[in-house]
Amino acid sequence: MQASITRLTERPTLWPWLLLTPLALYLAIFFVVPLVDVVVMSFTEPKPTLSNYTHVLTGALYQRVFINTFATALLVTVVCLVVGYPLAYLMTRVSPRSAMLILTLVTMSFWTSFLVRTYAWMVLLGDSGPIIALVRALGVQDPPHLLFTRFSSTLAMVHILAPYMIMNIYSVMRKIDPVLIRSAQSLGAKSGSLFRHVYLPLTAPGIANGSVLVFVICLGFYVTPVLLGSPREQMIAGLIGHQIDEFLAFGLGSAMAVVLLLITLTILTIYHRRFGLDKLWG
Amino acid sequence: MNRLLLSIGVFAVIFIAAPLVIVVPMSFSNARSLQFPPPGYWLGYYQAYFTDMRWLRPTWNSIIIASGTTVLTMTLVVPATFALVRHRFAGKSFADLMLLMPLAVPHIVMAVGYYSFLGKLGIVQTHLGVIVAHTCLTVPIAFLVLSANLKGFDRTLERAAISLGASPWRTFIHITLPILKPGLIVSALFTFVQSFDETVVAIFISGRDAATLPRKMFDSIRQEADPVIAVVSTLLFLLVLAGIVAPPLWKALRTRMKAPALSSGDFQS
Repeated sequence: MQASITRLTERPTLWPWLLLTPLALYLAIFFVVPLVDVVVMSFTEPKPTLSNYTHVLTGALYQRVFINTFATALLVTVVCLVVGYPLAYLMTRVSPRSAMLILTLVTMSFWTSFLVRTYAWMVLLGDSGPIIALVRALGVQDPPHLLFTRFSSTLAMVHILAPYMIMNIYSVMRKIDPVLIRSAQSLGAKSGSLFRHVYLPLTAPGIANGSVLVFVICLGFYVTPVLLGSPREQMIAGLIGHQIDEFLAFGLGSAMAVVLLLITLTILTIYHRRFGLDKLWG
Repeated sequence: MNRLLLSIGVFAVIFIAAPLVIVVPMSFSNARSLQFPPPGYWLGYYQAYFTDMRWLRPTWNSIIIASGTTVLTMTLVVPATFALVRHRFAGKSFADLMLLMPLAVPHIVMAVGYYSFLGKLGIVQTHLGVIVAHTCLTVPIAFLVLSANLKGFDRTLERAAISLGASPWRTFIHITLPILKPGLIVSALFTFVQSFDETVVAIFISGRDAATLPRKMFDSIRQEADPVIAVVSTLLFLLVLAGIVAPPLWKALRTRMKAPALSSGDFQS
């Protein structure tokens, strides 16, 4: 009997390999091969040269799109932090019941489809929407168009990605021992220095997690910038889609996809070395 | 500092809530374009959604594709999770990392790859093609949820069954599976929702015959902002609301607690 117990737990067998093989094969064929395909196309379409990369890395249009994408991702991350940090803090300060309500709201936003939230912002920011009406009521004669601008796509992306930031920061904040705060206060720390020297460093892991996640998702964001953004200020993903859909320029599209992939993987690798990738989504 | 943080926090709550709330009145609006507040109310666009094949077919396609993806993903992920959580072997940490890789690759990159790859296989613009692609994209979520459950599994229960004379197979069926059932259900549910909501890959590979609901919504927002989108959005929003509010309510009713509590398994991060 003892033998069968150890058999269940310790026996070094082929079992793990048998269990793992179907998934490993599946991912090798249906995940790795298509990715390799992208890399191959970036060098061979329409003919085998490096010209796709010289275009993508030196062309004025592409450089502008890359810079615009980075700037947008950075802005979205910072605004998510500015919105998300105080909200997470609010959750730690109100009654458990109110905190639960806010958490339910954030969870609901998180689970609601990107498209639904993008559509909602189209209504909110539209020319006959409530925000323009409010601006008119305040006496502005000729309110600016908000829709299809950098402003509208940035705002919607902040709304869509904020739950990632909030959940990451809140999960760190709720574990902070209140004794640490009280002892800092009793040692004479003023509100500002308490925040800077005690609270902020304690919440830094949540900020790092949330920011990396928001930044990386934003770099590859397709739907919202395409639907709400200005056509003159495309982001990388939108331009890739454009190349494939409109021009059937698979080589150029693939080369941009490879560059986007390398940037994303570099950021995640640095993160993985320092913190471990499984923490990011866990 | 404190007061500043708290007041921004309150503002942030409104910012998160407003877009979620606004689609509900919009779905009852009788305006042809995006107008808020609506000039009048009717149920015409609900009727339009439930009678128009241009909306019903993509809805049905999405249900088929998400179901197929869930079955395929769970079939592959459940055994693999057992291997990775319960056994130690060379290359295990590499395998762990590889299973998470589909999360790290932007969907637009995969869309380019699938467009060409599935074309070569002759299954681009079919249900099967989208299921094959979505399965790769949902593997990490299913794996993360399931492995978290399996790591918390108390193995003395299995050892007890074995020491009482049960065969390993019988132990698995009567002890392991029932205990793991909630984890399996949550994992399958996350997979289903992720496939149902997936937009980018579906836009590029689902074509006309297998067009999913998100693809149809994307196209109509882009082209004419069809008011039926508000109806679809409201229905999707209500599904999410039901999915999030129902379990704790049910739990509260069952245990007759006064304050329902969301379990940490209800959200991802």
